[in-house]
Amino acid sequence: QEFRRVFFLFLLKIICSLILEAPLAAQSSAMVSLHLVPRLIALLLLLPGRIRSSSPVFNSLLSDLQGDPELEERCRDLLRDFGRRYESYVKCAVPSARPVRICENCHIQFEMLRVVYNNISSDQADPENCRDSLLRADRLMLVYMLFQNLEDVWDVAHCSQCLSGDGLSNITLRYMAKLNQSLSCFESQKNNHSELCRVCRADYKDLNEFYSIMEKNQTLCIDIEDSMNATRRLWSKDFNCSFPREETVPVIAVSSFMLFLPIIFYLSSFLHSEQKKRRLIHPKRAKSNNSLMNIQDKHS
Amino acid sequence: MANITKKVSWSSRGDEPAPAGEGTPLLNGAGGAARSYSRQFSGSGIFQIGRLSTVDLEEDPAPEEESAISRPKEIPHNEKLLSLKYESLDYDNSENQLFLEEERRMSYMGFRCLEISRWVVCALIGILTGLIACFIDIVVENLAGLKYKVIKENIEKFTEAGGLSISLILWAFLNSVIVMMGAIIVAFFEPIAAGSGIPQIKCYLNGVKIPRVVRLKTLVVKVCGVICSVAGGLAVGKEGPMIHSGAVVAAGVSQGRSTSLKKDFKIFEYFRRDTEKRDFVSAGAAAGVSAAFGAPVGGVLFSLEEGASFWNQMLTWRIFFASMISTFTLNFFLSIYHNKTGELSNPGLINFGRFDSDVSSPAFLHLQGMCGLLGALFNVLNYWLTIFRIRYIHRPCLQVMEAMLVAAVTATVSFAMIYFSDDCQPLGEDQAENYPLQVSISSCPVVPFRSYVCPTLQLFCADGEYNSMATAFFNTPERSVRSLFHNPPGSYNPPTLGVFTLTYFFLACWTYGLTVSAGVFIPSLLIGAAWGRLFGIMLAHITPYGSIWADPGKYALIGAAAQLGGIVRMTLSLTVILVEATGNVTYGFPIMLVLMTAKIVGDYFVEGLYDIHIKLQSVPFLHWEAPATSHALTAREVMSSPVTCFNRVEKVGTIVDVLSNTSTNHNGFPVVTRVMDDDEPGKICGLILRSQLIVLLKHKVFVERTRSRLNQRKLQLKDFRDAYPRFPPIQSIHVSQDERECMMDLTEFMNPTPYTVTQETSLPRVFKLFRALGLRHLVVVDSENRVVGLVTRKDLARYHLGKHGLEELQLAQT
Repeated sequence: QEFRRVFFLFLLKIICSLILEAPLAAQSSAMVSLHLVPRLIALLLLLPGRIRSSSPVFNSLLSDLQGDPELEERCRDLLRDFGRRYESYVKCAVPSARPVRICENCHIQFEMLRVVYNNISSDQADPENCRDSLLRADRLMLVYMLFQNLEDVWDVAHCSQCLSGDGLSNITLRYMAKLNQSLSCFESQKNNHSELCRVCRADYKDLNEFYSIMEKNQTLCIDIEDSMNATRRLWSKDFNCSFPREETVPVIAVSSFMLFLPIIFYLSSFLHSEQKKRRLIHPKRAKSNNSLMNIQDKHS
Repeated sequence: MANITKKVSWSSRGDEPAPAGEGTPLLNGAGGAARSYSRQFSGSGIFQIGRLSTVDLEEDPAPEEESAISRPKEIPHNEKLLSLKYESLDYDNSENQLFLEEERRMSYMGFRCLEISRWVVCALIGILTGLIACFIDIVVENLAGLKYKVIKENIEKFTEAGGLSISLILWAFLNSVIVMMGAIIVAFFEPIAAGSGIPQIKCYLNGVKIPRVVRLKTLVVKVCGVICSVAGGLAVGKEGPMIHSGAVVAAGVSQGRSTSLKKDFKIFEYFRRDTEKRDFVSAGAAAGVSAAFGAPVGGVLFSLEEGASFWNQMLTWRIFFASMISTFTLNFFLSIYHNKTGELSNPGLINFGRFDSDVSSPAFLHLQGMCGLLGALFNVLNYWLTIFRIRYIHRPCLQVMEAMLVAAVTATVSFAMIYFSDDCQPLGEDQAENYPLQVSISSCPVVPFRSYVCPTLQLFCADGEYNSMATAFFNTPERSVRSLFHNPPGSYNPPTLGVFTLTYFFLACWTYGLTVSAGVFIPSLLIGAAWGRLFGIMLAHITPYGSIWADPGKYALIGAAAQLGGIVRMTLSLTVILVEATGNVTYGFPIMLVLMTAKIVGDYFVEGLYDIHIKLQSVPFLHWEAPATSHALTAREVMSSPVTCFNRVEKVGTIVDVLSNTSTNHNGFPVVTRVMDDDEPGKICGLILRSQLIVLLKHKVFVERTRSRLNQRKLQLKDFRDAYPRFPPIQSIHVSQDERECMMDLTEFMNPTPYTVTQETSLPRVFKLFRALGLRHLVVVDSENRVVGLVTRKDLARYHLGKHGLEELQLAQT
């Protein structure tokens, strides 16, 4: 996708430079003829808005041809509003990237952004509605794409699963309480790891089980997953509290016993079971005595 | 006295005296001799004396020569035997007068209806096969899910509290119990349902009547058995048995009745004969393949490649119809079961998942030869194991015990692998998020409404990680295959995969041939996938930029194809099946190359697994061509002779005697013109089958009766069909002493134009005729059209090309 876009832009540049030569030459010789107009309109449809700003000559020409290119003031306000809220959301989200706290910290900002986007997309006043002029006027559809990206991030993070109403859901809050409890236990015992494993096991187990239930009910969002991952890593890797492998001997004993059984079975059936014999039948043949000999003669 | 002189002259004619001829029990049924026994009962004493006086070499003079003279030579079971218990199917239609009459009666509409009902039958076959597949899938999934849930909880409990060996015992015990149920029903109720059933169906389509192979009971046992063996954790798949199930469904549906349930729906009566039934069975097998792999075209080609010798355009189209219906039915009902009605994402029992289509790496070429070798090794090991099993483990209780032991050992080995594995991988959260397309096909599907628990085990791994050996072992094989295909690079460590491949190879090899119904497709795929993935990982390590283009999942696919090809040696159909299962035609080329190489390499060492098992069951299987060096053999040397013949109008007593002679279980009898001189074989005028004679005897169609009671209903073709396919044995038909003296006119019932060849016809010619027309009996005549011998399937199948040129298989009682 990215590659295609770059390629397309590159192509555009080439086309622009080729075509733009022509009108400039035409202007300089003061022969602005009417046959250029359809060509320019085609160009307009083909090229995104950036050309207008990049070439002042082109821009003025455009505004002349298009009538009133300016947006309605109402829409311009909406766009400005969208920009502000977008900014505040991004400002909140980037610092919450690691460790991930995006759902918890930024849900208000995202909600506000969503509201203004909904306003834009539901604006259908005739004849000049902001939805069409802001969201669908060009190929790029920048506003739409910006919002869509953020919404995708939000969905992938499953943030809606730990939000309810206008705040964190109850279950999330309970999880956080449990998490804090475990973490404070870790904090208090962090000097002695073996002691920590013993003392904090109950808290940690409680937390782990609660997490599993949430996982089953699909009430996890990225914040919770990430904090749990970090806690688990602390527990297993840093404090080394996972289960040791200490039952090797019984397991080996039972396994080898099991593996030994078939050997006994096969040996005993080999020794004790009578071998199945097949009774040969002599088929009746016209020359049964020499047919096989014939074959052998022929092939030996 | 003519008799005696004849015998004397005959016996003195041969290079080796009479024992070879007259003494053998088989000769009792010989044309002239049989008649002399029954007719000249009083003369038999003289006859014997005469024989004794002339043939000194006779060892045992007792009248019951049967047991003594032939002196049953007993040898241990081996692959170079032909069993007597297998008979041919009557593919060739008997054009007797009844048949002609019926055809005359049938209107144009009648034939149209017949054609339509063929389509209806095919649709029914497809639907029922799909439903059976659906049933198996759902039950296995739930049962295995339940089992794994119990064990998982147990393991989790004991990981914490200590005492993991108890979990091990629990796992082994659960496996054994489930497998025991499966093995008991197979071993005690229907042994023919053991294995994948593909060899049996292959034989059936080849024209061999395997006893009880297409019965309803077999189907029930097969379905239950396969559920038990897959849920019991054996290294088996449920795909092979689907093919058998489809065939049974086809054989049952096309007859419009069930003999086992004693229920006759009075429909499809026209199809009650071997010709039609066999066509439908090939449709059923295709439907089975298509339900198993979601590969309708592959199913049709499977039927073409493995079975149907008789093939025409309309039949192909009908078979394709049945396969399409079957995969659609399965898909539709599974989608309903998964609450996604109309999504149709489960075309087969095994779902390979989606592969993207860049096949950029040419390095798969290295894999193939190796996999052919592995396949050959698998076959050789399994061959020896099967011989051992046939020779020593033939009692049902022993078979059940063996199956249980294998189940327990499988569990033990899996557990030990998991226990000692240090390969921990992070649990799927981010993995699932990074690959949203693969969520449903990754090792742990996040599908909430399935009862199947996520089969990841943590054991000694850090929290939030899982034991990656456990995903491979603690799972049904289908899921393991899928996770090997689709898990992102890095999900498995090379040592894990290596150990897994090795263990699973031996487990699968050990498991195939047990008395449980189970297929070999999935285990082969799994071995190949593990080892292909290992190869892919290695490649990514040793080559620069390897990790970019060497996607281990693709190597897993190629490896799976190569391994499967190396074991079963199917070519065209397997390529198409795999292409259809992956849903990507681009993979056709590498898969084809791989299968070709695997077959070439494998065939150098040993035959395909199915062929080995067919051979070991002593089935008279006819291959496509006669052995290459057999042109020098003529029909005279191949045929059985002398032949038991009947006269056009034959005495009932003679017929009954011939039929009830247990030592000569003949099925076809040439009908000859009456000859005055017993010395000469008669001129052929027809061929009658044992089944027809039995029906005739049952209805007592005797000349005398017809004369006395003119109003008696005339026998129709329907009467023969009603008795099909289980004609009563001759012993159950009572013929009184008076009736023995009656005469029976066979003219109306015999096939008046049987195929004949002259004595000088070469073996390949006879073979071609036999194979292409689906014959059961081929009469050998001399220049004056007199019957001199009879060629049957066993006479042809006994020649095969061995290491020392042409070899002859021996007939044996099994």
